[in-house]
Amino acid sequence: MSSTTFEAAVSAALSEESRRRGKRLGKALIWATAAIAVLWFTGAQIGMSPLALVKGIPFMADFFSRMFPPDLDHLPLLGDATLETVQIAVWGTLIAILLSIPLALLGAKNTTPHPIVFHVTRLFLNALRAINELVFALIFVSAVGLGPFAGVLAIALHATGMLAKFCAEEVEGVDRGPIEAMQATGANRLQVILFGIVPQVIPAFISYSIYRFDVSIRAATILGLVGAGGLGFSLIKTMKLFKYHETATCILVIFIIVLISDWVCAKVRARII
Amino acid sequence: MAALGERKLWRFHHIVFAAVVVAFLAWCADRVGLRPKELGAALPAIGEYFYRMAPPKWEFAEVLWKPAAETLYIALWGNVIALLIGLPLGVLAAGNVTRSALVRNSVKAVLNLLRSISELIWAIFFVAAVGLGPFPGALALGVNFGGILGRLYAEALENIDNGPVEALQATGASRLQVIVYAMFPQVLPQFVTYNLYWFEVGVRSATVLGMVGAGGIGFELVTTIRLFEWRETGVVLLLIFAMVTIIDFASTWIRSRIY
Amino acid sequence: MNVNAPVAEVQTAVKPMISIRGLSKTYTGGVRALNDISMDVPPGEFLVILGPSGAGKSTLLRCINRLVDPSAGQVFHNGTEITGHRRDLRAIRRQFGMVFQQFNLVKRLSVLTNVLAGRLAYRSMWRSLFYSFPEADKRIAIECLARVNMEQKAFQRADTLSGGEQQRVAIARALAQQPMVILADEPVASLDPKIARQVLGYLREAAQELGITVLCNLHQVDYAREFAERVVGMSRGSVVFDGLTSQLTEDILHRIYYREPGEAEKEEA
Repeated sequence: MSSTTFEAAVSAALSEESRRRGKRLGKALIWATAAIAVLWFTGAQIGMSPLALVKGIPFMADFFSRMFPPDLDHLPLLGDATLETVQIAVWGTLIAILLSIPLALLGAKNTTPHPIVFHVTRLFLNALRAINELVFALIFVSAVGLGPFAGVLAIALHATGMLAKFCAEEVEGVDRGPIEAMQATGANRLQVILFGIVPQVIPAFISYSIYRFDVSIRAATILGLVGAGGLGFSLIKTMKLFKYHETATCILVIFIIVLISDWVCAKVRARII
Repeated sequence: MAALGERKLWRFHHIVFAAVVVAFLAWCADRVGLRPKELGAALPAIGEYFYRMAPPKWEFAEVLWKPAAETLYIALWGNVIALLIGLPLGVLAAGNVTRSALVRNSVKAVLNLLRSISELIWAIFFVAAVGLGPFPGALALGVNFGGILGRLYAEALENIDNGPVEALQATGASRLQVIVYAMFPQVLPQFVTYNLYWFEVGVRSATVLGMVGAGGIGFELVTTIRLFEWRETGVVLLLIFAMVTIIDFASTWIRSRIY
Repeated sequence: MNVNAPVAEVQTAVKPMISIRGLSKTYTGGVRALNDISMDVPPGEFLVILGPSGAGKSTLLRCINRLVDPSAGQVFHNGTEITGHRRDLRAIRRQFGMVFQQFNLVKRLSVLTNVLAGRLAYRSMWRSLFYSFPEADKRIAIECLARVNMEQKAFQRADTLSGGEQQRVAIARALAQQPMVILADEPVASLDPKIARQVLGYLREAAQELGITVLCNLHQVDYAREFAERVVGMSRGSVVFDGLTSQLTEDILHRIYYREPGEAEKEEA
């Protein structure tokens, strides 16, 4: 390139750069102002206040001092509750797995028998997903009484919503190749689903189920707050009796269970993939 | 002949395992009260409760707008706080950023602590610290999600392509510059996806924080249930459902725009 | 250790840009990548380091800009020793531009930002954190892009470019450092022949115009013959040839590419 065209090209690029930079800065400024405005407004509405937080430090310290050290003698008494928590999570997830297989197939565009069925299923699943396990637990405790049974149902329903929707999306996203191949051999619809689609989604389904189990354990630990069994019940009980050292023990056990569940689930998923 | 023998052993081993699993499940079911008879009685009982929620008492919705909005604000600020906590901690916990295993492991331990303790428990804690209202709710959500997001950020950072990182190191850039120019651009789409997803989760979580006094629509929900005002409960549930669905749509739309 | 090969007639009056003495590198696990390497590179030369994969060429380059620390030996840059310093790593590294086989651009950033990243070593932390560069840097970056004829794509995302284009941008990034030396590690191994020659051409041209010394790792003999002034042949971690391109005989090529482990000991005897 001759030196004059070189210079011209460089100047052209430089002015283009400053033009683009100007535009970018303008856009960034608008977004930033909007974001700050939203955050300011919502923050004021909910009373965000760093000052209040600082003022709250002595209360937090008081809280800790009442809880520390955790009363380790209380540990054996929690064995039952811990077991119950795990069992709630196990059956809750299991029921969810069983229910979500048919629901996923009904809720996927390529396997649903009828568009109305598809939309109703999707609506139903969204409803299950939108409602927190705790809310379900509250309602079920009223319906079937206190105890882990309500907890199992609560976890099962919410997890079904999540698992089924995930699975439905996987089903919709399968590779069309094997499907067409099967249809070409004259297989009927059910056979195509069972042998063409299901095998493709099984790995992701299993992986997500294990993840859901992990989430269910977390949820199961606090269901007791509304009387649906597990460690949460011990937690709220000790708090109401002002036995904070025992509360700390509960929190410790919850922490450990969640950690173990995390670790186990990660290991299992790694082995399956 | 040896092959046949091996196959038989393998199958026996599997059968034993399956039997143990089934026995375990049966035991669990029994302990949590899952018996066919109970299930049979439960389903109609639950059905009856949902039946009582119809028709929903729409006038009740008037009282619900403010708490519903509050729920959204809690989720929003919860995620902002989670980002502020999770980002620095996540960066420090990444294996390719921090060389000192001590620092990395301590940060990972902190993140584990934050994420393993449910946001409801954090909410109880923060209510004790700063009083009732949505503020402790946002803090609780922020702290818990900060731990979750932090770990996700760290994993994303550890999975990047190290080629550009090496290239920028070779130019003489400082550690921080390498992080900003070679690492962040690679993980940015993932970070945004995580944040959007957890905002959705946050809205659902924020709906129950009111149970422990940490703001949002949870308080109204619990109150209507405890007072057996089923038709009002129905309205709250429908409102929650609508809110979550709208957020879902908005989030999907945003995600499609940024790719 | 230099084998009995004709040594290039280097004017000893000129101080070498790079001097390597007794460089060795053994990786943990016992892998001996470099074996007592010594050589001199005069300023402005386009040196090709020729050898099969596994010969230690990459390790050699990385020992120079300290991406890898040598186990023994010294490297001198413009008369100053640069091995063994922990402190001034940034200042040392910015003197060396590096071009990689995989291009190693940041895919999601624009071409211009990628090239500007070459100026980071000269900038303090704070301003660069916001992706903001002074006008002078932008001018340098654009000029470097113009040298490789890529200034028109300055605002595209790096991953929208073809392989050859990306490598040219990578060369521009190295040039933006205003380095004294460019280290090119198999820069064209992933490119097809026509594009490869184009890229090597840009590299040589820019280097000549700016008086930059180039150390270029290659395993293709053709390219070495076309572009190098001087060739250093490496095999299994040792230098087996150090001379002008014209002195590359079949015999020497055989020694570079087909040398068996046993032969090394035979020669040293």
